[in-house]
Amino acid sequence: MQHINKNYFQLFNVSESCELDLDSLAGKYRELQSDVHPDRFANAGEQAKLLAVQNSSYLNEAYDTLKSPLKRAGYLLTLHQQDIEHVDQSDLSMDLLLEQIQLRETLGELPEDESALADLASLKKQVEAKIEVCHQGFADNIERSNYHGAKMIYHELQFLYKLLVEIESAEELRLGY
Amino acid sequence: MHRLAVGIDLGTTNSLVAARCGAGVETLPDEKGDHLLPSVVHYSAAEPALVGSEAKARLIDDSANTVSSVKRFLGKSLTELRRQNRHLPYEFDAARGDTAPAIVTAAGVKDPVQISADILRKLAERAEHCLKGSLEGAVITVPAYFNDAQRQQTRDAAQLAGLKVLRLLNEPTAAAVAYGLDSNDQGKVIVFDLGGGTFDVSLLSLQKGVFEVLATGGDTNLGGDDFDHILADWMRTQLSPGTEPVAVFNARLLQIANAAKHQLSSEDEVELSYGEWSACLNREKFATLASELISRTINTCRRVLRDASLSVEDVDNIVLVGGSTRMPVIREAIAEFFAKAPLSDIDPDKVVAIGAGIQADVLIGNKSADNFLLLDVNPLSLGIETMGELVEKIIPRNTTIPIVKAQEFTTFKDGQTVMSLHVVQGERELVADCRSLARFELRDIPAMVAGAAKIRVSFQVDADGLLSVTAEELSTGKKSEIQVKPSYGLDSSVISEMLQASHDNAQVDMEVRSIREAQLEARQLIDAISSARDVDGALLSENESDRIGNVIRKLETAMTEAGSNQIHALTEELNRVSGNFAAQRMDLHIREALRGESIGNVEET
Repeated sequence: MQHINKNYFQLFNVSESCELDLDSLAGKYRELQSDVHPDRFANAGEQAKLLAVQNSSYLNEAYDTLKSPLKRAGYLLTLHQQDIEHVDQSDLSMDLLLEQIQLRETLGELPEDESALADLASLKKQVEAKIEVCHQGFADNIERSNYHGAKMIYHELQFLYKLLVEIESAEELRLGY
Repeated sequence: MHRLAVGIDLGTTNSLVAARCGAGVETLPDEKGDHLLPSVVHYSAAEPALVGSEAKARLIDDSANTVSSVKRFLGKSLTELRRQNRHLPYEFDAARGDTAPAIVTAAGVKDPVQISADILRKLAERAEHCLKGSLEGAVITVPAYFNDAQRQQTRDAAQLAGLKVLRLLNEPTAAAVAYGLDSNDQGKVIVFDLGGGTFDVSLLSLQKGVFEVLATGGDTNLGGDDFDHILADWMRTQLSPGTEPVAVFNARLLQIANAAKHQLSSEDEVELSYGEWSACLNREKFATLASELISRTINTCRRVLRDASLSVEDVDNIVLVGGSTRMPVIREAIAEFFAKAPLSDIDPDKVVAIGAGIQADVLIGNKSADNFLLLDVNPLSLGIETMGELVEKIIPRNTTIPIVKAQEFTTFKDGQTVMSLHVVQGERELVADCRSLARFELRDIPAMVAGAAKIRVSFQVDADGLLSVTAEELSTGKKSEIQVKPSYGLDSSVISEMLQASHDNAQVDMEVRSIREAQLEARQLIDAISSARDVDGALLSENESDRIGNVIRKLETAMTEAGSNQIHALTEELNRVSGNFAAQRMDLHIREALRGESIGNVEET
């Protein structure tokens, strides 16, 4: 067994793009994991066991990245030398910030009981629709090799996914679990 | 050649051992035909330790030398043990520190690892006797929520008992294996484990022979005993106590309640009686009384589904574990929520051991492993303490293991050469609310300005869920490594409490976090300006200097008493009043750099 350090897309033998078939990705993941998982080396030497832990970890990280649309987008950007950890002002438009503030205010102002559930559901739909539009825009920018444009959309997606999590926990709070 | 390997369910109350016998994997009985071995050990000066029912018989008359429920002791400090079990009849060895408790017995001092090893040894002997050969390996099950210390001590106990550990396996995963392999299941499985005092739910995905744990959840203040209490409480409202002492009265009610609960598993209604009083209780009434408990179990299922972003329709099977799942009210509630009946072909007390036995058979190499693999997740987030006592999560909970994750950190002060790393486990935002796992130091970091050093901290969790941490300073390659073997840890009840608390406190945490971040940002700015004044103070007019000094004082006061908004506002103001100074410094340094001196050199003079 060799040490794996391929690019995630190559590891799964899929093309470097935003669209992925998640079912076939999951199948491929299990196939690969069946070869490298430490359980396969339960009776092997220490060196082989260590390598198995490393390879299996790398594979888990790769799968975790590719199966999440947001992480996959971030990874695509890093493959194109974009530093996604670093955000500067040129990456965020004023319109975006204002819109985020407004969405957050809408969420914050909802009553703290079950009467808010319908509004939460519609806010969730609204955010999900925006996410879909963003993913489309992201893919278009990648297609046209406009990586800075794609990076701007990526940061917008980060906001939107975070908001989605907050909407869901607001729902949980009101459902009482 | 067939190699002998066993699966062991090392339980709090009872333990079991299972192995392949002919076509199937079965639990193995002792010479009297009992499959369950009470997890009790009795120590005496003259004889070897007694394990099982013989030991259990000594619980009353020789309690100080008879250890039960040792699983609760694994990975705990003495303080925690005392807090969680108020009436421990044991004498703890004073020579041991708080973090390594051990019991003084007639046979000498015994720690939880040694006591667990005695139970494991008894099971191994039983297996070697039944299977007529020596064991080559064992799979041992642990609760999905067991933390690093608890897993490590389980592994140590097995080694002490002379067993080669093929794998530590999560209990719910083992239960699913027991069903999954024999019936070749595909799809999503909920493992619903309701024991006497704890409740765990796990969601697993089985596909093409690969088992993946997608999410776990639980409620350790919930178990079969609570149903007895509910029933006893109801009886108490119906009748008045006789002349006997309250404690006896309560104990009798519990006894009646427990018997009635068991009867209701096979009959539609039971007759309750106490003294003169009697009443009829049917399943429907029992379900009404227990509705709050039942809905707590269902809500945990709901939460686990949500953690995995799945809905009820996605669940293909429900596996029952633990004696309390024999209650029809539970089975009905499950069937209603998931819109399908749970699997109940395998004895819910034995199902975990059987699954472990199947996995042992695969790992030792008797069975082709081509289409069988178990993937697990880490139950709690692992993170590191950052400035302001905040936690930076590095491996979030429910990440598939093994996994390596790295994160870069930097120095906070100019010229800082030592960085201490504090590894914590938990879901909360503040270090104080998480469990400390280990502390270690990275020394000899080259002295640089704040923020210039790059320290990469890597977390590695292996397939058994054990953690190791490495830190490396990237410019020099200086490394520091630690195998995290904390001397004590969390038990599943603490983990469950912590999860609950993280949920309850999410809002508070966010506020506290934003204050801490604001304080941190303010502190950094003040430090930067102060050190700039030390170097280039001459550039400032007296007026400017006063103005900056003023805002710094206001900001420092705000940092100790104000909310994040005010701290932010003052930090902004400090930025503004010092803006001109920053621009002048920049000009000066660029001019000096152009003369051939590096900015770094200028900073240091």
